[in-house]
Amino acid sequence: MPHVVDCEIKAHQEAAPGHYRMALHCPDIAKEALPGQFCMIEVRPGYHPFLRRPMSIERIFRDGISILYKVEGEGTRLLSGYRTGQSLNVQGPLGKPFPLPGEGKRSILVGGGIGVAPLPGLAERLMREAGRTPEIVLAARTDSLLLCGKDFAQMRCRVTLATDDGSAGMKGFASDALRTLKPGPDTVVYCCGPMPMMRAVHDVCAELDAPCFASLEALMACGDGVCMGCVVEANVEIEAERMVRVCADGPVFDSRVINWSAAGKR
Amino acid sequence: MQVNIGGLVMKNPVTVGSGTFGYGQEYDRYFDVSRLGAVTVKSLSLQPRAGNRPPRLVETPAGMLNAIGLQNVGIEAYLRDKLPFLRERGCTVIGNIYGYSPEEYAQLAEILEREGGADAIEANLSCPNVHDAKTRGCKLVSQSPERVAEYTRAVKAATRLPVFIKLSPNVMDITEPALAAEEAGADGLSLINTLLGMGIDPETRRPILSNIVGGLSGPAIRPVAVKMVWDAARAVRIPIIGMGGICTAEDAVQFLLAGASAVAVGCASFRRPDTALRVVEGLEAYCARQGVADISALVGAMKVD
Repeated sequence: MPHVVDCEIKAHQEAAPGHYRMALHCPDIAKEALPGQFCMIEVRPGYHPFLRRPMSIERIFRDGISILYKVEGEGTRLLSGYRTGQSLNVQGPLGKPFPLPGEGKRSILVGGGIGVAPLPGLAERLMREAGRTPEIVLAARTDSLLLCGKDFAQMRCRVTLATDDGSAGMKGFASDALRTLKPGPDTVVYCCGPMPMMRAVHDVCAELDAPCFASLEALMACGDGVCMGCVVEANVEIEAERMVRVCADGPVFDSRVINWSAAGKR
Repeated sequence: MQVNIGGLVMKNPVTVGSGTFGYGQEYDRYFDVSRLGAVTVKSLSLQPRAGNRPPRLVETPAGMLNAIGLQNVGIEAYLRDKLPFLRERGCTVIGNIYGYSPEEYAQLAEILEREGGADAIEANLSCPNVHDAKTRGCKLVSQSPERVAEYTRAVKAATRLPVFIKLSPNVMDITEPALAAEEAGADGLSLINTLLGMGIDPETRRPILSNIVGGLSGPAIRPVAVKMVWDAARAVRIPIIGMGGICTAEDAVQFLLAGASAVAVGCASFRRPDTALRVVEGLEAYCARQGVADISALVGAMKVD
């Protein structure tokens, strides 16, 4: 059951150039949230910007959540101006969480750039509930944009890095790094990042027969399955069910459901 | 707070804009939706529709542009999967319908009445998003008074339920389609649908919406909507459901004063799911504050020297 609540900002810090982490006090949301879900944040009172901004939940604590975001447009620019102690209206938790892998199964979490946002919370849950430490692939354009490395190291996850320019880890893409970890049918891969990256991760997984769940990003108006504004094309035979809602049917999808050649065009 | 809109009794004058409230159940997670005067459901077509390709949505100053293309479950699935909730909750239901011909509208109205799927019909003659803007232009039924009359007659002949005609603001003179609907027997008008608009990405030089053209809604269009309601209300005798950018009870009062007998909250629900309920409560407070005993006394009661 989603809540709509005013939340005090408990912490707000730059996590990397142009990237911020914000901790919000919201016990009601935290109590129900699961990794992979998101919330909708009102970035300013009044009529403009008119729409809330969807934000992945990064980590879930007893009395709140954290989000991790990159300043991209007007909404995130406004958000970045908030200080600790101010409050924001937050709606959540929304959407479907990451499903857990079967008992004792190996899992690999693949994050591209700011797409890493929902993965620390997932790693925590996997360690707690699936009984096996997940492996991590972090990829970004360059070293300074690799996020959450420390958090995963603290959880004692094995982290494989990849950068486009070779400034950290291997020179290459997330999908190249994933391939070196040899995922197979007994591995569950979870990924979040830019569409081309997730498409490449899906391709590797499909080739190696590894189940893969992708968390998609979209512009949203309602975040609640009502407006039909955030759809992506799915591999569905029935014409009327071809457009799936990122907010309510996702944001986490079995990667085989997504029609990557159509969805990647945006 | 009770009103009678062309034969439809609503316990208060507040409903929701079709397409901004799903089929009611979605927002029942936030408040008891039966507290609204009526729930207007997402446009229903005879067959399910997948709608337009994404991107379908873009934020605009104090509003949004959409080109959803009426993605909906179709009338059959509505009756089977969506209606039971609305009935169980005791909601008054306005069934918004969309078809490709007068016959299809008639068929939808007839089915809704026969199956108890709605307490009134709202015929959407003004969706801007179901044509391919690149090849077929944006001709809307409601831009032609003759076609408005033809479609209205078809729906009226098919049902005894109250029939409301939803009109587009994209006309030279709103009174023409309004009068055409009234003369053809409409029991009420819904004003306004979205305003046509578009956006272009300066970097890629490509349209932002896949359908190029979309419908503008939100507080940005409210003054246009209030004016259109005012124009239409002076021309017709049938009641008007006013809509366009309503976010607060005070916004709603503007529509009533301009001549609307009821109001609909549209995309403001996307930002605050309980907006429509707040408008109900705010109207009660407004009436108490202003000493208004019957809300109908506000209809068309703008004071002009």
